[in-house]
Amino acid sequence: MWNYEKRLQFPVKITQPNAKLAQVIISQFGGPDGELAASMRYLSQRYTMPYNEVAGLLTDIGTEELAHMEMISAIVYQLTKNLSMEEIEASGFDKYYVDHTLGLWPQSAGGVPFNACVFQSKGDAITDLVEDMAAEQKARSTYDNILRLVHDQEVCDPIRFLRAREIVHFQRFGEGLRIVQDKLDSKNFYAFNPEFDRCKE
Amino acid sequence: MQDYNFNEYFDRFPLAMAYVPWQHLTQIYEDLDKAYCTGTIFPELTKPFTGRRCVK
Amino acid sequence: MSGRMNSEQENMLRNIGIVDFVTVEMTEYLDTHPFDREAMEYFNHYMRMKNQMMRDYAAKYGPLSLSVADTCSKEWKWALQPMPWEGGC
Repeated sequence: MWNYEKRLQFPVKITQPNAKLAQVIISQFGGPDGELAASMRYLSQRYTMPYNEVAGLLTDIGTEELAHMEMISAIVYQLTKNLSMEEIEASGFDKYYVDHTLGLWPQSAGGVPFNACVFQSKGDAITDLVEDMAAEQKARSTYDNILRLVHDQEVCDPIRFLRAREIVHFQRFGEGLRIVQDKLDSKNFYAFNPEFDRCKE
Repeated sequence: MQDYNFNEYFDRFPLAMAYVPWQHLTQIYEDLDKAYCTGTIFPELTKPFTGRRCVK
Repeated sequence: MSGRMNSEQENMLRNIGIVDFVTVEMTEYLDTHPFDREAMEYFNHYMRMKNQMMRDYAAKYGPLSLSVADTCSKEWKWALQPMPWEGGC
C-alpha cells in the first residue's frame, strides 16, 4: 500500500505564469506518454509478473511515476496560478478554463481526456517489459519536445530532472527483460507465456 | 547495410529479442547535489538533451 | 511562491530530497541487482540518514510523513502546513 511524503521529489518553484506552456506541459500529466499513464501501466502489469524482482521493479517505478505526476501537476498549477482574465483569453487557455477553471484535470495538450487506451497490460512478461521500455522512450521524447519550447530556467530544471529519470527507467526495464530472458529457454523465448501457461507442451 | 559478423555473440544473444547491457556499480557522483540536479546518481546514465531545430 | 520558509528550513528540505533521491535510485538498481552487497550498504547508509533527517525536520517544522507526526502538539500540523505544490517544495 502507499504512504505519502509531504514534499515534491524535486523542487518546483515557478514565479512567472505562462498559460501557453501550461497547456503543453499538461500532456505529461494526462497525455498518452505522461506520468499518470506510466504509473498506471506499471502498477497494473505487476500483479501477474511471475518474477519477484521484476514485480518489485514495476511497483517501485510505478510509485516513483506518481511522484512525477505530482511534480507535473505542481508545474501546471504554478504556471496558471495568478493568470488574469486577459491572459486566459489571449493564450487560448480559455478552452480549458471554461470546463475546469484553474483546476488540474488529466488530459493531453490536444484535449484528449486521460484514458486506459494509452497503455497496455498484456499479461505477458516479455511483451509488458518491451511496452515499458517503449513507454520510457516516448516520455523522454516528449520531454525533449517540451525542452525545445521552454526558455525559463525555473521550468527547465524540474523538466530536465524528469527527463533524466526516463533514461534510468529504460535501463532498469531493460535489465528486467534480461532477468526474464534468463528464466526462459534461450533457444525459444516465445515457446510459452510464463504468466499464463502451466505446461510447456 | 552493415552486417556485424559477431559470431561469438549469437549463442549469448539469440535473434528476435532485445538486450540492454547490464549496468555495474562502477561510478556514483561524489557531489550528490549535482547528481540530484542531473536526475541520476550514475554518470554512465547521464545523457543530456542538446538538440535545437535551427531552421529559420 | 509560499515564501514563508526560511533558508534553514529550505536547506533541510532540499537535503532530505537529495538523500531520499539516492535511496530511490539505489532501490531501483537493487531491484535488478538483488545480490549487490555494495549497493545494499550504500542504500542502508542513506536510508538511515534520511530517517534521522525526517525526524529532525519534523521536530523543528512539522511532519513530512505520518510516521513522524507528533501527536503531543496542540494542533494537527500534518493538515495545517502548506502543501508541497505551493512552491516551498
